[in-house]
Amino acid sequence: MSQPLVLGIETSCDETAIGIVRGRTLLANVISSSVEEHARFGGVVPEIASRAHLESIHSVLTRALEEAKVSLNDIDAFGVTAGPGLIGALLVGVSSASGLSLALDKPLYGVNHLSAHLAVDSLNSDHTLKPAIGLLVSGGHSSILKVGDFSSDVEVLGSTMDDAAGEAFDKIARILKLDFPGGPAIDKIAKDGDCTAIEFPRGLTNDPGHLYDFSFSGLKTAVSRFLQKTPDAKVADVAASFQEAVVDVLLTKALAAAKFHGLENLIIAGGVAANSRLRALALARCQAAGISLRIPPAALCTDNGAMVAALTSLAVSSGAPASSLGLAAESSTGLDRVLWA
Amino acid sequence: MSTILAIDTSTSRTTVALVKDGSVVAGLHHDDPIAHGEVLPRLISELLKLENSIDEVVIGMGPGPFTGLRVGIVFGQSFAFARNIPWRGICSLDSMGAQVQGSAIVAVDARRKELFWAEFKEGKRITEPQVALRHVVDSFASTALPLFLEGDIYPSAELMPAIIGDIREPIYIRRPDAYPSPAGVTFRAMNAMDLVVVSSLEKSIYAGEDPWSMEQFKEELAANDRYYLVAEKEGVVIGYCGVMLAGEIADVLTITVDPRLRRQGIGREFLKRLIDWARNKKAESMMLEVRVGNDAARPLYTSSGFYPLNTRSDYYGPGLDALVMKKDLR
Repeated sequence: MSQPLVLGIETSCDETAIGIVRGRTLLANVISSSVEEHARFGGVVPEIASRAHLESIHSVLTRALEEAKVSLNDIDAFGVTAGPGLIGALLVGVSSASGLSLALDKPLYGVNHLSAHLAVDSLNSDHTLKPAIGLLVSGGHSSILKVGDFSSDVEVLGSTMDDAAGEAFDKIARILKLDFPGGPAIDKIAKDGDCTAIEFPRGLTNDPGHLYDFSFSGLKTAVSRFLQKTPDAKVADVAASFQEAVVDVLLTKALAAAKFHGLENLIIAGGVAANSRLRALALARCQAAGISLRIPPAALCTDNGAMVAALTSLAVSSGAPASSLGLAAESSTGLDRVLWA
Repeated sequence: MSTILAIDTSTSRTTVALVKDGSVVAGLHHDDPIAHGEVLPRLISELLKLENSIDEVVIGMGPGPFTGLRVGIVFGQSFAFARNIPWRGICSLDSMGAQVQGSAIVAVDARRKELFWAEFKEGKRITEPQVALRHVVDSFASTALPLFLEGDIYPSAELMPAIIGDIREPIYIRRPDAYPSPAGVTFRAMNAMDLVVVSSLEKSIYAGEDPWSMEQFKEELAANDRYYLVAEKEGVVIGYCGVMLAGEIADVLTITVDPRLRRQGIGREFLKRLIDWARNKKAESMMLEVRVGNDAARPLYTSSGFYPLNTRSDYYGPGLDALVMKKDLR
């Protein structure tokens, strides 16, 4: 099937999201977030997220179908994030997708959340499947990948040893008494700060055993020590300098991987790819290095259903078999499994 | 002619059935406390091979361990959505209670050494489902009121279509763990047994400010669209609160805490629970009145998202004005 109509469901964390694509054309991308309910706890509370998914999933579904101007009966295949993520949250999406797929007798594909973040790039009109280095940065993951094909060939070159990049943003935001989630809060206040004000450490940059791995826990400690010693420091400067340290190390390692593997394409994906400083610096450094940069629009970087639909659509087009009945959600799964058998 | 698909995943048993015009076409089940998500689609697929044309879905809405419970609920709702057929929810304990005679307590595992339970008489439930520690439920049980635990009996999808009810929300009973409770204080729904204590607290705290009588509390408890809670410490009622739903507005009627136990987060916990209830009832906003000059209560309301709307003169009696505050829930 060359232009399948695919509906993708994403409920791995705190966003209840449904996207609809036809082939590689985006028709709808609807998201309902429970982030406000988590804010007062300073992090996502799994049970609150799962309850919110159940509460909103059918209204999100209705809105997505309206936005795409299609009927559920027209859908050729369903896709759903089957992992990694919060197990209770994943199960809401997987069970809803199973109900839809069985009711309409249409195939269901369980897909990997991380691969889907990358595959959303296929919705770009000028997309061609060229081998690329993928920098996947979100609240739960920070990895450098070698991508041959979104649905069948993704190799992990390195990942974080401790905190994910987005997690580091949340923790530093808490120390700086900024809002949850920390990413957007730090991004915003850093615009008023001097990113060269404080020289924070760049973790694992000189360790040949961890060329493409990350570590952000030392940076977190450095920021809190700095604040203890310098309680009057300007918050915007601290935020900007912290952000610069994270962004610098992400890009240095990703570009080193591209150079080593002789690849001329870099794809940045995941929630942290919405960070404005990461986007700006990535553009400048890729231009300087002669590398073609692809970053999805910010709305497609954070968790969404369009990315699930996009990956599913690629799988359907390539003739991959659908997942078997009763596919099992997996809270911790690597990138070795892109599609569920 | 009507074919009903029934689903329950509130216990370690996933149970499904097809019932056509009151007679069971087929019933299937599988016992596994952590595999509802994998088991349910396989069982349903078997049933659809027997009869693919379904007119209604009946879903067990709990109580039960949340993760498994939601599998059945969202599957059933999505199936009905896709087929454009109605669904209705029933209390999951009811298809267990329908299996026992006389008076009995029916209880299922609620994890953490607790049970979800309700009392039944001749197969009909006569109390709201509740949660309690296992040994507390054990202590109710007697020869006259035998206890049937999950394992002795299970929910039965075959029996579900005959059970009356149309519950739209999951029966969680417990709130997510993240909500901290003030130490040693427990919260529960107010019942008739509390009326004496509550009205005497009211009388001592609001002396001279037109306190509600016991009769008024009794009427309130019996009225529709009301939600009253009490807080207990060491078995003694130390506070109460209530809210009323009028259309799309939830009106806080009272939040009262024993003056000796204030500033411990009990009022805040009350308010949070009232807000949760109002949100569940799809209220668009919440209103409350606070006496002008009652500066102690104001920070609680403003930090919970309430803003001043207007003032009502002499609301609490001559010269006692009320400030009306509002919170948007959408």
